[in-house]
Amino acid sequence: MEKIKRKSTKPLQINPLKLSQPMGATLAFLGIDNCMPLMHGGQGCASFTKVYYTRHFSEPIAIQTTAVTDVTAILDGGDFSIIESIKNIRKKISPSLIGLFTTGLPETKGDDIRGISAKINCPLVYVNTPDYEGGLESGWALACKAIMQQLVQATEEVDDNKVVILPHVSLQPIEVEKIKDFIAGFGFNVFAVPDLSTSLDGHLGEKQASLSHGGITIEELNDLGNAGLVISIGDSMFPSAEELQKKNLYMRHFHFSHLNGLIATDKLVAKLLSETGFDHPPLQVERWRKRLQDAMLDTHFSLGQTRILVAAEPDQLVGICESLYEAGGKVSVAIATVNSPQLKKIKAEQVLVGDLEDAEAMADKYDLFIGNFHCEALAHQQHKGLVTRGFPNWEQVGNQLKNDILYEGGAYFLFECANAATVHREHAQAS
Amino acid sequence: MSTKPKIKELLVENACEYNKSKKSACNISTPGATSGGCAFEGAQISLFPYADAAHLVHGPITCLGSSWETRATKTSWPGRDLTQMGFTTDTSIKDVIFSGEKKLAGAISYIVDLYAPEAVFVYCTCVTALIGDDIDLICKQAAEKYGIPCVPVHAPGFVGSKNLGSRLAGEAVLQHLIGTMEPETLTPYDINLIGEYNVTGDMWQYSLLLEKLGIRILSSLSGDGRVASIRTAHRAKLNVIVCAKSLISLTRKMQERYAIPWISLSFYGKRDTSRGLLQIAEALEDYDLLQRTKALIKNEEEKLEIKLQPYRKAFAGKKAILNTGGNKSWSITSALQDLGIEVVATSVRKATEDDRAKAKEYLGKEGILMMNPGAEQAKLIDEKGVHLLLAGGRSLYTAIKKGIAFIDVNQEKKKSYGGYEGLLNLAEDIKNALENPVFQLAGRNAPWKK
Repeated sequence: MEKIKRKSTKPLQINPLKLSQPMGATLAFLGIDNCMPLMHGGQGCASFTKVYYTRHFSEPIAIQTTAVTDVTAILDGGDFSIIESIKNIRKKISPSLIGLFTTGLPETKGDDIRGISAKINCPLVYVNTPDYEGGLESGWALACKAIMQQLVQATEEVDDNKVVILPHVSLQPIEVEKIKDFIAGFGFNVFAVPDLSTSLDGHLGEKQASLSHGGITIEELNDLGNAGLVISIGDSMFPSAEELQKKNLYMRHFHFSHLNGLIATDKLVAKLLSETGFDHPPLQVERWRKRLQDAMLDTHFSLGQTRILVAAEPDQLVGICESLYEAGGKVSVAIATVNSPQLKKIKAEQVLVGDLEDAEAMADKYDLFIGNFHCEALAHQQHKGLVTRGFPNWEQVGNQLKNDILYEGGAYFLFECANAATVHREHAQAS
Repeated sequence: MSTKPKIKELLVENACEYNKSKKSACNISTPGATSGGCAFEGAQISLFPYADAAHLVHGPITCLGSSWETRATKTSWPGRDLTQMGFTTDTSIKDVIFSGEKKLAGAISYIVDLYAPEAVFVYCTCVTALIGDDIDLICKQAAEKYGIPCVPVHAPGFVGSKNLGSRLAGEAVLQHLIGTMEPETLTPYDINLIGEYNVTGDMWQYSLLLEKLGIRILSSLSGDGRVASIRTAHRAKLNVIVCAKSLISLTRKMQERYAIPWISLSFYGKRDTSRGLLQIAEALEDYDLLQRTKALIKNEEEKLEIKLQPYRKAFAGKKAILNTGGNKSWSITSALQDLGIEVVATSVRKATEDDRAKAKEYLGKEGILMMNPGAEQAKLIDEKGVHLLLAGGRSLYTAIKKGIAFIDVNQEKKKSYGGYEGLLNLAEDIKNALENPVFQLAGRNAPWKK
């Protein structure tokens, strides 16, 4: 493997993959029931984010903005905008929680949201997420860490049956549900933070809600401290797990960089078996493992002759590349949205932090694209196969139900990639 | 002198009827109770359709990362379609502390070298406006160095709404592009299209008809537009504002500066399309052209009428409610009526006085203007036996509860509803919605519910 290129040498991003921290924080707060994400910044940031996720999930998205103007940017230290916002929100609705987070604008002028939050008399979590630092993944993780720190009550009691999972941002709602169910299959009582599996899973509700609808409740969050075990998934979530452990000295922590593919899922099962003392996992799990083994063999021929470019957030990138590697898929280029220590774990010939212009410049190195909707134009123009993954996907519906993880999702994922590669090869030969 | 436009002046635009009853229509945002995009988004909507120019967003990643390649605005530009590309300096903490000017200059140089655009538009955003990066200076230097227009656009999000941003974009074009080049030829029938963004190819639904009539689109701001032609816009005989009111300041100033009169019209539905063509012909004050236009309208309407026959049959007796904002409250009404659908009610909650008057005119005596559509529409569906609800996604639940067909009017469209031909697309979509069983089935009671 070549050296990892952790920093772009260009003075700009062209066709960016990168997304911002406040957008990640938004999504995290949408995984809490009856919550209003409140973005502290200009009104456009919230508006763009709302439209962005509405199109990705085909669902209404709850979000509000402190609507900082050029005038308040100078005259207000944030107190007015934030306190006024909360007053105005609570005039119309009663959120169980307000998730307050920043953008680059108030961070540039130095608003003290911690100090302001102390003056506010309603359930609130605050977190600093300027968009001139980090990206989607770190914004989600910072929000999650703040939730742990500010909402979970410290305790010394331990419920050994209770497990908290902390999924990274790129896990789609159905994937969170699959992980919860998988662990619950071993007899545990499982909570996910944030939990998109019951909020943005695309379910027809009774009526249109103006707050997040579904997700973990604030009471459940308050009581997380007595969980015997916390499992973080994705390296971005490691600090959140550590934060949660501070609430209870007896809580143990398992960490997985991802749950894609055979080996990673085997590791999870091994841990759960040793925790429970069981000899075997549930029957369905055994069955799915066999199916994944078979899927790896069925797909190896197509994938083995396919050079693949994967573009994603770091945690998802590691997982996808591992899953492909297990079936012989040749990841020739892996492009991460931002830098992360995770990058050294990626199984790819070349790893870089970059944008889609970089992908275009390396067009002779791959046949199949795995990336977000923005890759489509490029795949089309360069005659590459395409499997759409990651944020955003505005072209297709059903994103919330795409499952790539554990034995089951892993099998589906390999089939989809192998089929896309085969179709692409046939097209390439025909033309 | 700074090229920054005077925002106060733009906010009290006398030519805009929005401003007759309110003091400041375009700059109200209440903390915690604000929806809708910012000034930067408005500028982006107005200028990004120039596909031969690079659009460089000088700011942190939220501004462009969340918004590039979002709009289906089409172009016939034979080179690379730069509208669908995203360029941003991706401001980092280092830039915030030490200024992002050097990076910006480097970014422009990179773009000019690799993409050879006809122009570069540079958009400042909240953070780069606050730290005081001098984009005017960087643009000026770049324009001199590379010999192409580099246009600074001063519409950072926090100065106001989308609408204001469009005006600011208009200011930038007026100040830096219009009048900087002479057209090769001139005709007495040269017009500028202002505020037509050619989303889903809307403009092409009627531009061919204009061509048939001998009317030349000298330039466009900015649907299927070219930088070279907008620079010659000062030689047009007429400015035609299509739907968008936000660029009125621009056309008013062009009237003052270049004596170009302006008209405002819409190409939505049969009647409005015909009226629009006539308005242009009348404004150009040419008897022959007017006669030709009348003949063309007659011909087009007859052709359309034949194609609409099967739909009219299917839509006979069908009733609809429309819940949307602004000029859509009457322009879609007009299109639905063209298809033989009775519009029982339309929402005018967010409409101006002028839009309300127009809606009333289209709906007639029986029609209901809803001021509180959320509460009213459900009741009206039952009372009037309505078959179709056209509204934003929020109202989907109402339609499902009542088991009637639903069309999301705010959804990003893939095909055009504009002009004569677009009406057929709308008709087909409505027919499909009315025939679709999903609106009754999706809300079906679960077997375990009594």
